[in-house]
Amino acid sequence: MQLVLSWPVRLFVVGVLIVSLFVDGAGFVYRIANKLPLTGNVAGLPPNFGGWQLYFHKGLDLAGGTHIDYQLTNFPAGQSRADVQKRTIDVINKRVNSLGVSEPEIRGAGTNNDRITVDLAGVNAAQAQKTIGAVSKLVYTKWVKDVKVTGGPEPGYKPALTGLTGDDISNATATIDQTGTSWVVNITFTSAGATKFDTLTRDNVAACPGDSTTVASANCAERHLTIWLDLTQADIDHWEDSSYVAKVSATYDPACLAAQAPGTICGKFLTDPITREEIAGGQAQISGSFTQQSATDLATGINSGSLPVDLVALDVTQVSATLGAESVKLSIAAGLLGLAIVVVFMIVYYRIPGLLASLALLFYAGAVLAVFKLVPVTLTLAGITGFILSVGMAVDANVLIFERFKEEVRAGRTIAAAVDAAVRRAWPAIRDSNTSTIITCIILGFVGPAAVKGFAITLAIGVFASLVSSIVVTHNLLAIVLAGSGFRRPGLLGVDRVRAV
Amino acid sequence: MSELSDIKAEQQSADIVPDGASEPEPAQAVAAPAPAPRIRRLNIIGRRNLFFALSLIIIIPGIVSMATRHFALGIDFAGGTELTVNVANNPSLAQVQSAVDAENINGSVIQTGGGGYIIRYPPLSPAQVTGVQSDLQGRLGPTSVQQILVVGGTIAGETIALSVLAVVLASVAILLLLAVRFRNVPGGWRAGFQFGGSALAALLHDVFILTGIFSILGKVFDLRIGEIDAFFVTAVLTVVGFSVHDTIVVFDRIRENLRVSQRLSFDQVVNLSIMQTAARSIITSFTVVLVLAAILIAGGTTLQGLALALMIGIVSGTYSSIFNAAPLLVVWRRLQPLR
Repeated sequence: MQLVLSWPVRLFVVGVLIVSLFVDGAGFVYRIANKLPLTGNVAGLPPNFGGWQLYFHKGLDLAGGTHIDYQLTNFPAGQSRADVQKRTIDVINKRVNSLGVSEPEIRGAGTNNDRITVDLAGVNAAQAQKTIGAVSKLVYTKWVKDVKVTGGPEPGYKPALTGLTGDDISNATATIDQTGTSWVVNITFTSAGATKFDTLTRDNVAACPGDSTTVASANCAERHLTIWLDLTQADIDHWEDSSYVAKVSATYDPACLAAQAPGTICGKFLTDPITREEIAGGQAQISGSFTQQSATDLATGINSGSLPVDLVALDVTQVSATLGAESVKLSIAAGLLGLAIVVVFMIVYYRIPGLLASLALLFYAGAVLAVFKLVPVTLTLAGITGFILSVGMAVDANVLIFERFKEEVRAGRTIAAAVDAAVRRAWPAIRDSNTSTIITCIILGFVGPAAVKGFAITLAIGVFASLVSSIVVTHNLLAIVLAGSGFRRPGLLGVDRVRAV
Repeated sequence: MSELSDIKAEQQSADIVPDGASEPEPAQAVAAPAPAPRIRRLNIIGRRNLFFALSLIIIIPGIVSMATRHFALGIDFAGGTELTVNVANNPSLAQVQSAVDAENINGSVIQTGGGGYIIRYPPLSPAQVTGVQSDLQGRLGPTSVQQILVVGGTIAGETIALSVLAVVLASVAILLLLAVRFRNVPGGWRAGFQFGGSALAALLHDVFILTGIFSILGKVFDLRIGEIDAFFVTAVLTVVGFSVHDTIVVFDRIRENLRVSQRLSFDQVVNLSIMQTAARSIITSFTVVLVLAAILIAGGTTLQGLALALMIGIVSGTYSSIFNAAPLLVVWRRLQPLR
């Protein structure tokens, strides 16, 4: 126990304190550094310190938004479940991104890769479910001459449905090509799709034969096969209206398509590659100047026509932003009230040691909040409760030490010896009792229901920090203030009498 | 001079015994310098049957209620759809109930005050949820939806299974932890398991008191705060941790006293250890109860059930660690003596 009283440990504590204060007050540091007003909304928050964004990550119950647990059913045969789950997550991500959600969280779950959890801030449940569960139909078109057409991917031509659709595709993946240098998208067709695709590509090449990369005449519009989402014959009938074509030919917009609002013209275009040769095997490759991102986007777009599985919502939670804000206010109030009560009680009951413990408690609260920002821990209502509760538990170790301190003083020890003996003898109980709480938290964190995990994490962090704070910080403060200076008045120490040194 | 401040401290400590618990404040009742260790008069071990009986008086009605009436289940255990709404016109409960009845999908209404209502339905499809919202809007005027919960049967079942599993795992882990920690008392592993087993019994005592009281609150008194949900499970597990906290502190003292006071009998050592640690246990629990009171007062409806559950559990945990766990250890020692 003498080790914790050494100067390196004390310097470390001071270091932790400074870092914690900086992290906790990051918003104010930023405001002061940029000479901005200390209250009200200013631009640039949360501040970015060399890549670190320091702010409290709020869970949906505090920020407002929608949480959905999906069960995946009807897995396609012969494909790895993990892959299917990952592809589904990619498609959901793509669809959700078009809603403009900040930090959407879409995670795989389930013991058999059969669950997906979606957290969307600021979106209501109806909109979220419509967007995620939307069924878009992928269609292939070829091009036929129409001199009245002025816009679109191929001016002078209008599209014609080919009968080849998303149902004929088994999957699309983004990968690096055989040369290992450029990104491509590989499409695998079903056997029925392969036959249709073979016919279409043969017709393509027959329209203007030759090597499309070198012979200019071989590069005609009829040689293109274009992929769209939800393109209908009604759209094609409007093809001579240039403003309509411009809108439809924009990159597909999943949110717009999902909303199915009458009168709105959504972007439906995916890609318009030229066919180099007849493709008979049902394995096509789209190449071009893809980056990893754009290739993945295109593959996801092709897949997103239809999700590889069916989604069944197991549970849906929607919390309004006003309720979230209200909860934040209430929990901050409860936290401050709790802390204040504890501080007043400790000082009244234990006097000087109580004051020192309160200082340690403030250090503890500051450090834990900093950890929440740094990790970052997503704070939920239950999580904040765990933290507030840990403030109460943090006191426990101090109480154990102080009660022991009183006993040792009564037994006739000097103050310095009593502080040392109190910490040393209280330690096994502090260690064992906190271990039991941390074990409970670990179990909750692993097997507890989702709502409970946030609570377990913050309580565990809190209990661990309280352990350090009581043994290191309170002990040091006691040693410095009590043993070093002249506090001999029993009334200030909360004991009967103190042995003269 | 020093005597004067001592009396003042005495009075303060007497004031803060929570809930007027039946035990007198065990602090420095006699301030005279006594040779350490001091054995105070209060004989908890001698009156252990009284304290066991007191626990049973609370536990038995709870168990009867759990067995016959079960629990009022919150939405995450029962499954279904729950809308939390604020109606601007502040209609009466009867008005909202008749509006919900008119929808004819078995909705039930709970009033939360200030125009706030919780409306529960069986599980609804997304389209139905949207339909219900606009329907309420039409019947009751401007309505803001605070929260929508839809829980299917699968998730509800899993939540219950996970919760039970968590409580069982935590109990086993704590038993093992205590057995390991206390195997170095005289008697070795068998003694370790006596310590662990007694702590476990005290812990189950607290779990039964807490669940029993909630069963009574929810089913006998039909109070919404008595509904059990995932938060309640959180409370149970926290109580498990906290109860063991208190018990470990007593047991740790017994372990220490067994080493230093070899003249005393096992009963005397246990009684002495209880006396030496009771002040700390009561003070700590009291502090936590204060914090919980803060949550109960300021924390909003979502957290009030959790705060109440924790409060009951922590008071029970302190009681059981002082009046049940250590006396149980004595009983066990008598039935299965270790040299």
